[in-house]
Amino acid sequence: MRAVWAFARMTVRSLLRRRTVWGILIVVLLGLIAIGHVPSFNVQTEGRFVLEFGLFGLEIGALLMALGLAVNLYPRDRESGTILPLVAVPISRGQYLMGRFLGSALVQIVALLVGCVGLMVILILNDLSIPSTLLPGTLLLLVEGLFLLAVVFFFSFWTSPPLNVPLTLALFVLAQMSVREFVGLFPQAPSLMRLLRLLLPHMDVFHVKDPIAHGESVPLLYFLLACLYGLAYTSFMLSVALAVFRERDL
Amino acid sequence: MSGSCIEVVDLQKHYPTRMGLRRIRAVEGISFSLRNGDILGFLGPNGAGKTTTIKCILGLLRPTSGSVRLWGEPPAAAKVRQRIGFVPENPTYESCFTPLEFLRTFSEMRGLDQGSDFMLGLLGRVGLSGWETTRIDRFSKGMRQRLSLALALQSQPDVLVLDEPTGGLDPLARKEFRDIILEESRRGAAVFLSSHLLSEVEAICDRAVILSQGRKVSEGSMEELLRKKSPYTIRFSLPGSTPVEKRLEGGESELQKEIDSIRRRDGTILAVERTGRSLEEVFLEVTGEER
Repeated sequence: MRAVWAFARMTVRSLLRRRTVWGILIVVLLGLIAIGHVPSFNVQTEGRFVLEFGLFGLEIGALLMALGLAVNLYPRDRESGTILPLVAVPISRGQYLMGRFLGSALVQIVALLVGCVGLMVILILNDLSIPSTLLPGTLLLLVEGLFLLAVVFFFSFWTSPPLNVPLTLALFVLAQMSVREFVGLFPQAPSLMRLLRLLLPHMDVFHVKDPIAHGESVPLLYFLLACLYGLAYTSFMLSVALAVFRERDL
Repeated sequence: MSGSCIEVVDLQKHYPTRMGLRRIRAVEGISFSLRNGDILGFLGPNGAGKTTTIKCILGLLRPTSGSVRLWGEPPAAAKVRQRIGFVPENPTYESCFTPLEFLRTFSEMRGLDQGSDFMLGLLGRVGLSGWETTRIDRFSKGMRQRLSLALALQSQPDVLVLDEPTGGLDPLARKEFRDIILEESRRGAAVFLSSHLLSEVEAICDRAVILSQGRKVSEGSMEELLRKKSPYTIRFSLPGSTPVEKRLEGGESELQKEIDSIRRRDGTILAVERTGRSLEEVFLEVTGEER
């Protein structure tokens, strides 16, 4: 584990030098500021509007951050040859993957927390109350972000970055769909589509922006189960990614 | 020390082409071993399969067939990796770090507890004194290679795998690299040295393996290789003529024929000498034959 942490720290440092990461963070923060300044239809719905769009902004931020952090990490390592002295001697392929993932995850978590704090500041500046479910809601977005990061890593081991982006986006969109919407994509084979939907992750479980915006309570058990589901799926994606990576020639 | 630390048996590595319709045969049935404490030169022209073989030895490539064993274990085994130091052909590192930071991180990754004094000493040994806290993106190719050597030596490895370690270095730096390799050999480390610089291999290696077009075309101790097929010079005189000197390129069979011929003509053999050859001549001959 010591090797993984050492490599994760190295990853954090090199990621923080990338303009893409800072660019995405700035865009998300600017988006949140813009949401705070858009006039709502009436005073009653203003808080709901800011919360709903703010959380949506954070979710899109998590997706963009996952892509910005990880889409080029392995391909760049491979192309430049920086992976050779690492994987040849001090660390195994599993440690490489975990170090890169943990490093990216740390940056992703910090970026999302900054976004969440930004949203809170905007709520305060607009004289709106901060709902108690905002932090657990952000936690679910963090888990979703980790899952997306694992997806990007998985695709990066067997596709190029230009293919990785649309594949991740496609998965992101498909994984939000309900069974009915998914079957509607290809109604000629409903059983097959139901099976496929069962295999695809259910990312809709991470979205609690509606109840949060409407001031409804979300049971703690739901948060816990959704987190567990997300982390289990993330572990699964990383395991598959490692299985693919182990077979790759470097 | 006895026994082999690297054992390569009938190694083959084929790559599919981009469309997957054909296969490029990068390495075709290579076998050799590196004994503990030996310095083995690994030679071959560009595209001979040297780097592919090295990558198979380090577990970076999966052999198509054949086997690679390090101390009897597969290359990816953790306990094997701890005993290896590797200098890649064109070392590239994350450029935002300094050599000292790199050594610290690698030390942690290897599970070593090394103090700053040891690391500073190591950087001094490879000629990076005064550059310890300079970012790597300001380093020349030669300086990166020095750093690469420092990282390889950090764990005091039992085997050093060096892929063209002195390419791009000036003559003085090459001499320093050679001295370090010899020091490591005296310490007991085995050295696997892939190099284009034949004079360098000739000067420091105990044995050499020569590849051409993915196949092993020659192997042996440096002495055997330099004597192999080396020409004979025979001086003889025939009745009523002045002494003649003749160079025979065909080895012992040609020499025997020539001696028989001189004797049939009642000639006198004055001297037979075997001319020494350089590794470069041997290399050009064996790789030329293969082409």
